[in-house]
Amino acid sequence: MDVGLTMLVGGFAAGVFGSLLGLGGGILIVPLLTLGFGLDLRSAVGVSLVCVIMTSSAAAGVYLERHTANLRLGMSLELFTAIGALVGGSIAFFIDQRALSVAFAALLAYVAISMARGGGRDTDEDEEGESDAEHAAHEAVGSARLRASAETAGSATVGTRAAFLASVAGPDYQVRNLGTGIVGATGAGVASALLGIGGGIVKVPLMHLAMGVPLRVATATSNLMIGITAAASGVIYLLRGEIDPYVAGPTAIGVFLGATVGSRLAHRVGLRYLRWLFVVVMLYTASQMLIRGIA
Amino acid sequence: MRSTQDRARDFDRRIGRLLIVVTYVAVVLLTIGVVLLVAAGISPLAGGPQLDLGRLVADLVALSPATFLWLGILAVIATPVSRVIAAAIGFARLGDRWMVGVAVAILVVIALGVVSALAIP
Repeated sequence: MDVGLTMLVGGFAAGVFGSLLGLGGGILIVPLLTLGFGLDLRSAVGVSLVCVIMTSSAAAGVYLERHTANLRLGMSLELFTAIGALVGGSIAFFIDQRALSVAFAALLAYVAISMARGGGRDTDEDEEGESDAEHAAHEAVGSARLRASAETAGSATVGTRAAFLASVAGPDYQVRNLGTGIVGATGAGVASALLGIGGGIVKVPLMHLAMGVPLRVATATSNLMIGITAAASGVIYLLRGEIDPYVAGPTAIGVFLGATVGSRLAHRVGLRYLRWLFVVVMLYTASQMLIRGIA
Repeated sequence: MRSTQDRARDFDRRIGRLLIVVTYVAVVLLTIGVVLLVAAGISPLAGGPQLDLGRLVADLVALSPATFLWLGILAVIATPVSRVIAAAIGFARLGDRWMVGVAVAILVVIALGVVSALAIP
């Protein structure tokens, strides 16, 4: 089959599965391009960032039109994801690609294990709209909700911070734990720039569990933030010649079409077996990335 | 007289529409580039040319696939940036100085990214 068509179909598959499982495309695109087409990791990350911006921008636009995303909170946090992405995008060129491969393998394994643990849950929870990525994110934060409640109770002060938190609150929820949000957002930006992912796996639990934002709003706002996070490092990859237009074109079109189809299929497809299939594929991919890293 | 909440919702809707429109512009440019790439029989693994802004118009007229692809990629990266610029203007109209400051700070960080990419060897 023609290489361009294979890339388009591969991107399409990554878009469909990413959308069905609530994962950003990046976690699938980087292994596709490195293991499937032999690209070096930095070039794959550059292309992945383009794909991630494209899918998140379209989704964020819809979320904003439906008033699901919190624009003020998203912009306030994306200042810090952008700072993280600037740092990550700058140091990415000084880090050995083998180390990045090992880090990516660890990320894949973590998501696969979280997904496998989510597979044992009651399926009703999925129907309420919690994706695997969101569940994986929940696992990452653990007891943050308890800590957040305790901290909020002890810091009910008036002033600039309280006024700011009031200004980013939603119609039926309050935002808390600004410090944790800032630190987590910065970390999400660094991870996004180094590994070519959207970083939703950090941002969603950060906002939902640590900052008290409802899950649906956190997911929508995370989508909004992904665009600027990836754009901040994307310009660095672009100007340093790490984005190949011939690879980015078919892959991005494939991912965009796949994500569009996946979002329409999401409520019609049983995710139980798909999830387990994906766990196996991700663990295999993680092992291949690890071998690539240590070879 | 419209309430502040109505104005905020209208503002969200406009920003959302901007994101969708610019994304579709990017999709169209990338699709044209991919079609031209296939028509020219070029393998995506052949290694695309670097972005050359000086030759942009001439390459567009010559229907060079790389130029359409580069324009699409630039449109993709510009989408969230244009959203921040539009939000800054909107927040300024609403008299929200804090959010204008946040939007400007985001743009400064992006600009620093450009400077660091050009400056670091």
